[in-house]
Amino acid sequence: MVTPVLAVEAIRKSFGGVTAVDRVSLTLAPGKIYGLIGPNGSGKTTLFNCITGMERPDGGRVLLNGRRIDGLKPHRIANMGVGRTFQVIRVFPELTALENLLVVTRGPREEAEQRGLELLRFVKIERLRDEFAGNLSYGQQKLVEFIRMLMTEPSLILLDEPAAGVNRTLLNDLLEAVRGLRDEGRTVLLVEHDMKVVMGLCETVFVLDHGEKIAEGPPGVIQSDERVIEAYFGR
Amino acid sequence: MSGRGRMFVAGLAVLVLVLAVYPSFGSGYGVRSMLQLFMWMALAGSWNLISGLTGYVSFGHVAFFGAGSYTAAILITKAGWPWLAASLAGGLGACVLALLIGYPCLRLKGPYFAIAMLGLNEVLRALVSYFEGLTGGGLGLSLPTLQATVPVYYVMGLTAIGVTALTYVIITSRFGLRLMTIREDEVAAEAMGIDTFRHKLYAFLLSAVGPGIVGGLAARDQGYIEPISVFPLAMTITMIVMVLFGGKGTVWGPVLGAATLFIFQELVWAQFIYLHQLLFGAIIIGVVLLMPRGVLGLLQMKYRLPRTI
Amino acid sequence: MSPAITPAMIGQVIISGILAGSLYAMVALGLSLIFGVMRVINIAHGPMLMLGAYTTYFLYAGFGLNPYLSLPISMAVLFVLGAVLQRALVFRVVDAPELSSLLLTFGISIALVNVAQLAFTSDLRSVEYLTGSWVAGPFAFSKPRVVACLIASAITAGAFLFLQKTRLGKAIRATSQSREVAMVCGINVQRIHLLSFGMAAALAAAGGTLISMMIAIQPEMGQIWTFKSFLVIVLGGAGNYPGALLGGLLLGLIEQLASLFLTTQLSEAVAYVLLVVVLLVRPTGLLGGRQT
Repeated sequence: MVTPVLAVEAIRKSFGGVTAVDRVSLTLAPGKIYGLIGPNGSGKTTLFNCITGMERPDGGRVLLNGRRIDGLKPHRIANMGVGRTFQVIRVFPELTALENLLVVTRGPREEAEQRGLELLRFVKIERLRDEFAGNLSYGQQKLVEFIRMLMTEPSLILLDEPAAGVNRTLLNDLLEAVRGLRDEGRTVLLVEHDMKVVMGLCETVFVLDHGEKIAEGPPGVIQSDERVIEAYFGR
Repeated sequence: MSGRGRMFVAGLAVLVLVLAVYPSFGSGYGVRSMLQLFMWMALAGSWNLISGLTGYVSFGHVAFFGAGSYTAAILITKAGWPWLAASLAGGLGACVLALLIGYPCLRLKGPYFAIAMLGLNEVLRALVSYFEGLTGGGLGLSLPTLQATVPVYYVMGLTAIGVTALTYVIITSRFGLRLMTIREDEVAAEAMGIDTFRHKLYAFLLSAVGPGIVGGLAARDQGYIEPISVFPLAMTITMIVMVLFGGKGTVWGPVLGAATLFIFQELVWAQFIYLHQLLFGAIIIGVVLLMPRGVLGLLQMKYRLPRTI
Repeated sequence: MSPAITPAMIGQVIISGILAGSLYAMVALGLSLIFGVMRVINIAHGPMLMLGAYTTYFLYAGFGLNPYLSLPISMAVLFVLGAVLQRALVFRVVDAPELSSLLLTFGISIALVNVAQLAFTSDLRSVEYLTGSWVAGPFAFSKPRVVACLIASAITAGAFLFLQKTRLGKAIRATSQSREVAMVCGINVQRIHLLSFGMAAALAAAGGTLISMMIAIQPEMGQIWTFKSFLVIVLGGAGNYPGALLGGLLLGLIEQLASLFLTTQLSEAVAYVLLVVVLLVRPTGLLGGRQT
C-alpha cells in the first residue's frame, strides 16, 4: 500500500472539559478529494487546527507522508506542504493582492512575481494586483486567499468551507480548480456544508458528530447511512 | 523612475549635501540642534521597525538607548576605547539586550511583549545602580573631556540615514512584507508558513541597534551619564509620538514626525515644559482615535502612493 | 551572601509576603477584569491607583478624614473616572487591533500622570495614620499592612461574590467567556464594559488608599503597579480570575523571599526576571489560562 499523505490517528482535543474532537482517525491517499462533514460544532475546524498545528492535540498522532507532525509549529507544518484556507477569510488587508501572494514565497523574487501574476490571471483578477486586499469584494478576497495557499505549492490542501458565500459562477470556477489540483496529484480535504458540492466533488466523505467520526465512505453510501441521517436531522 | 521620484531623490541629495557642509557655517546651537534632530530620527525610525511594521508595541525602547550609553561610556572610561568604536559596540550591546528580552517575550502574542518592555526600564535602572563598580551607580560616569560635537554630528547624521535606508530596504523586501503580515493577521501568517517568531525577533534586534549607537554617541556628546538621564520614560514616549504622528509602518513617517515634533518642541513647547507629557498623551490618544495611520499613512491611502513613502 | 537564615526569618517572610500579596491580588483583579471582558490591557491601571492614593491624602490632609473611611469615597471617585474614560475613549478601541488599545491606554496613562504632576506637584506626600507593628514572638506585623490585608481580602472576596452570585456578575463572566454568546443572551455588553472598567478602577483606587499609609505618594508611583498587576495575571493565567489571587500571593512571597538574599535594588529586578522566566517556561500561567 502507498504511504498515506495524511494519517490522523486517534486524535483527541478538549477545551476546558468539553471534548471537541474525540479519537478521530482518518487516512488520506495521494491524489484524491476528501470531504469532511458534520453538524455545526461537530469538531471539523478543530480537527483542521490539529492537523495544521494551530492546536496541539491532547492525544493521538498526525502523520504527514509517514512523518509525525503533531506538536510542530504551524509554519513548520505549512512548509512541509500543507496549505489551508479559513472559514472566515484571512487575507492580509493592508497588503496588495500581489503582495499577499509574495509574502508566502521564497527564492528569486522575479519568479515569485511571475507565478503570482499567473495565478491572479488564472482566477481572472490580474487587474486588481495592486489593490489592497482589504478593499476587494468578498469573492475576490476568497480567490486571493485560495491562490495564496497555492503559492506555497502544497501537496495536501485543506479547505474550510470553500463554497460559503460564493456565487454560482465563482463556485464552478473554484470546483474546477480543485479538480485540477487533484489531477496534478495533490490531495484535498474540504469541510463543506453544501451537500451538492460535497457529493459532486469528493471521492470519500468522513462524517463527524460531537467530535466523533460516525461514518466514512463514498458519498452515495454516506447519504443513506442511518447514523448520518440521525446526526443531521435528529430523531 | 518617475519624474516626481527623480525630483524627490534630487531634493534629498541637495538636503544631505547642505547638512554635510552645515557645521562649517552653522552656529554651535544650530549644529547641536541638528545633532539632536538626527538622534530623534534614528530613534523614531528604529521604534517604527518593530512596532510600526509588526504591530508589537515597545514601551521601553529607551532601554536600548541606555544600554548603548552605558556600554559606550564604560568602554571609553574603563577600557580607553575611542568613542566611535565604543558607540558601535553600544549598538551591539543593545542588540544583545534585545535578544535576551525578545527571546522569551516575542514567542507569545499580544501584550506580553508590551508590558515586558514597560518594566524593562525600571529593572535596568536598578541594575545600573547595583553594579556601582562598573557604572558609577547613582553618581553616574564622567567621560574624559573631548570636543567632538562636529564629528558626533556626522556620525549621528549617518546613523539617522542608516536607519532610514534600512527601513526602505526592509519595507520594499518580502521580509518587510512578512513583518507586516504579523501586524495584519499573525495566525494566518503562521498558517502560511511564515516563521513569525523569527521575523519578530529579527525586526526587534534590528530596531535595537540604532538606539544603541545613538545612546553611545549621546553619552560622548554629553560627557556625563547617570541612570536617570539615559533611561527616561519620556524618551520612549517621544519616539512613539513622532512615529504615530508621521505615520507608522512607512519609510518617511518617522523622519517627518521627528522633524515636526522636534521643531515644535524647540519653538513653541519650550515655554510649556510642564505640559509636555499631557500634550504627548493627548497626541497619542488623538492619533489613535482619529488618524491611526498618521500623516503619511493618510496621504498614502488617499492618493494611492507607493509603499516607499 | 547573608548570614544564617533562621526559621523565624522564613516565617517573617511568609507573613510579609501574604500581607503584600493580598494587595497585589486585589489590584491585579481589576486589570484582569478589564482584560477578560474587553481584551484590553489597561496601561493606565497603575495611575488609577495613584489617583486613589491622592484622594485619600487630600481627604485626610484637608478634612482630617480617617483614611480608612475615605476608602469608599476614593473607590467611588475612581469608579466614575474609570467609567467616563471607558465611555469617552476606550470603547472606541475595544475591537481594534491590540496596538490601538495599548497605545490609547498608554496615552491616557501619561496624561493622567502629568495632570497629577500639575495639580499636586511632584512633592512626596504621606498619610501618617497607623504606624508601627504588632509583635508576636519573633514576628512583627506591620499595623497598616495587616489592616490593609484584611480590607483587601474583604474587598476581593466581595468582588468574587459579586461575580459568582449576582446577575450582573454573571453577566460580566459570560461576557468574558464569549461576547457573542452574551449578546445573544440579551446582555447589554456596552453596559458590562462600562461597569467592568469602573469596577477595575475602583479596585485600583482601593489599593491606592491602602498603600497611601505605607509608602510615599507621588505622581509616578502608579506605573510599577501596572507592571506588577500584569505579572500577577501572567502568573495566574490570563483571563483566569481566581488565578489572580494565587498570582498575587505568589508575587508577594517571592518578592519578600528575594529581599532576604538580595539588596533592595536587585530585589526590584526579581519581579521582572520572574516574568521572563514564567513566559519562557509556562506561558499559559500556573493555573492555565484561556486560549488566545
